[in-house]
Amino acid sequence: MNGDSIRVKVFRFDPSRDREPYYSDYSVPFEKGMSAMDALDYIYQNLDGGIAYYDHAGCSLGICARCTGRVNGKPGLICQTAVEGDIVLEPVNKDKVIKDLVTRRGG
Amino acid sequence: MPIQKIETDVLVIGGGGAGFRAAIAARERGVRALLVSKGPLARCGASPMAGADFTLDGASMNGLGRDGDTNDSMDKCFNDIVTQGWFLNNQKLVRHYVETAPRLLKDLMDYGIDIKLSDQRMIFFSGLHLMDILLKKARSVGVDLLEDVMVLELLRRDGGVTGALCLGIRTGEFIAVSCRAVVMASGGWHKAFWPNTGMRDLSGEGMAMAQRAGATLGNMEFITFCCNIMYEPPMWRGSLAPYMLGLIAGGRLCNRKGEEFLKQYDPSVVKTGTSTEWNKSFISMASMKEVRAGNGFENGGVHFDRGEVSWDLMKMIATFIFPDWKYKAIDLSEWGRMLEAGEPIEVGPAVEYFDGGIIVNDRFESGVPGLYAAGECCLGAFGSNRVFSAITEMLVQGLTAGENAAAFAGGSAQVAPDASLVNALVHAAEAPLAGKGNISPARARRIIQERAHAQLGPVRNGNELSDFIAFLERVRANELGSLTAASPGRIYNKEWIDALELGNMVQLLEVSARCALARTESRGVHFREDCPVTDNDAWLKESTATIGDGGFDIGSRAATVTSMSPPGGKVPYLDMMKRMMESHSDTGGKH
Ligand SMILES: Cc1cc2nc3c(=O)[nH]c(=O)nc-3n(C[C@H](O)[C@H](O)[C@H](O)COP(=O)(O)OP(=O)(O)OC[C@H]3O[C@@H](n4cnc5c(N)ncnc54)[C@H](O)[C@@H]3O)c2cc1C
Ligand code: FES
Repeated sequence: MNGDSIRVKVFRFDPSRDREPYYSDYSVPFEKGMSAMDALDYIYQNLDGGIAYYDHAGCSLGICARCTGRVNGKPGLICQTAVEGDIVLEPVNKDKVIKDLVTRRGG
Repeated sequence: MPIQKIETDVLVIGGGGAGFRAAIAARERGVRALLVSKGPLARCGASPMAGADFTLDGASMNGLGRDGDTNDSMDKCFNDIVTQGWFLNNQKLVRHYVETAPRLLKDLMDYGIDIKLSDQRMIFFSGLHLMDILLKKARSVGVDLLEDVMVLELLRRDGGVTGALCLGIRTGEFIAVSCRAVVMASGGWHKAFWPNTGMRDLSGEGMAMAQRAGATLGNMEFITFCCNIMYEPPMWRGSLAPYMLGLIAGGRLCNRKGEEFLKQYDPSVVKTGTSTEWNKSFISMASMKEVRAGNGFENGGVHFDRGEVSWDLMKMIATFIFPDWKYKAIDLSEWGRMLEAGEPIEVGPAVEYFDGGIIVNDRFESGVPGLYAAGECCLGAFGSNRVFSAITEMLVQGLTAGENAAAFAGGSAQVAPDASLVNALVHAAEAPLAGKGNISPARARRIIQERAHAQLGPVRNGNELSDFIAFLERVRANELGSLTAASPGRIYNKEWIDALELGNMVQLLEVSARCALARTESRGVHFREDCPVTDNDAWLKESTATIGDGGFDIGSRAATVTSMSPPGGKVPYLDMMKRMMESHSDTGGKH
């Protein structure tokens, strides 16, 4: 599938400005062996700088366990969930969102 | 938005091992201590990523009930640290390391450290476990803790440090801390390079703000690249797994032409340079040479495979280091299949450790009144090349810096933050939110990172360094002022944080590149293909960098020598490396 693109649908919510959560859709070049975090990095760096996911102190290598989220509904570490096709990214607990995929502590 | 105010005695900036050890030491001396960590407590910085080894002389280990080599001594450790550092070490800090390490091992044992394995000179545990233990201890002695808070600038009055301005990353709120002394323990600046070994919080604000406050940075050109870091697949990029396996089990490195390129080097250098932590400098340099000669692969690396090592042996060692092919939460089973089948994986050098930093004396004073520094952010014990343990370094230095900062705090007055200074800093920090420019911080960062890896990496030359400096000057003049966050929201605004970090990284990259350009020799982890000789006559000097009126003032000062006299003469780089490898003392243990 190298050379192809995947669709990445991301949960968006800024409780200080948005009334309701919504989803943004992005087209991301597919790379074999990429993680959901790689997809988010691509979006952040190239398509939408306003997107928030936990990474200001992330390790991206499955060590800090701070990047939890749901990939296609399944909870796990975003940086160690392999991507093979289109994906939906959401926080584990939508009630604790402070912005997009970032949640309050304990969330 | 109102600015929150906090008062403490000793402010510790950084939540890695150095910061925690300093805060515990200060608190145990009876003063208030506040530790501010940019990331989550005990889960950020390099410390939790480490293996990690704590290395000291075997005789002292033995005295503490561990199986150390009784024939070992502090003097032998001293000898080994200084020769591994190619004689550029501050020997006062080496002495401090070897003499203080036994006390720290005893502390760790008292705190209940779970030792996984040990050899004649070191004990081994996980960095995550160490951080959990330090966090628990800090809580038990009453250290105040703040997480996900980034320190932006030191506050000063009459030249001395009186506090710091911070930003809550999750809230977007500013916090002005007033204190009597500061311990800087902010670690390295890995984020200035791509690829790197992982952590995304280490962008060098601490070193950069110390320099802006008047401290001198030293030996900034010495940057340790770890070899055999995974370059593929993207999900594992930055992982040390092949480095660890290669160090213990061996394996083979090949270039694009299928050549085992290490075979062109002196066999004894290859032996020490692959089976000990000398591999970081030696293999990183050798791999980068291949890539620069056009013999690299797609991602700018080389190929690692099992080579001559039998699958049985490889599997036994690999599953010992990575039980069930799990390395923390990475599932490496696909790599296991590749190793068995003899398939290669692309690996290469990536930044791992910064040998230089804030210049301190053996009391860990920076020269700016009230400002101390410890751990990776300071110019420590290792001179131009680190083989010994950075984990030990951060703990011994954290302890002493914390104790001395507490003593200093006891004798100095609390000064309220200067409101007009704080307002001016807040105003400047908010600039990327105002949306006046049009440059995306993340994109600008990525371009800088890739260029730093290529031009300030394990192989350097004068033309490229000059080119890189000119590029950084353009970034400084044309881009830094125009960095803009697409969204003006304050809560977890990634672009805002990126924009605030970037100026610090550009500052440190420029200092480092200028020092690398000035140092017209090769030594330790600084290899110049246009000056491939170690010049012991002209360059047994530390580089220094301060901020002057017209930019950076780059200079030098003699290396601090106490008991081991350095050699003289000009020696080809690899011959000097061989001599330094052969100077190792006769003790057991990997280091
Ligand atoms: C992947 C990896 C593996 C390693 N393995 C080993 C090993 O096995 N053995 C060994 O001896 N060494 C190892 N090292 C090196 C060693 O881990 C580090 O040198 C050491 O942990 C540094 O400790 P520190 O406390 O100085 O800094 P760090 O642990 O990096 O901590 C720095 C802290 O400062 C914080 N900070 C940074 N900027 C700011 C700011 N602006 N405001 C507030 N806080 C800030 C960070 O969030 C972090 O909490 C390894 C390094 C890496 C990268
Ligand atoms: S970012 Fe650390 S585990 Fe995912």
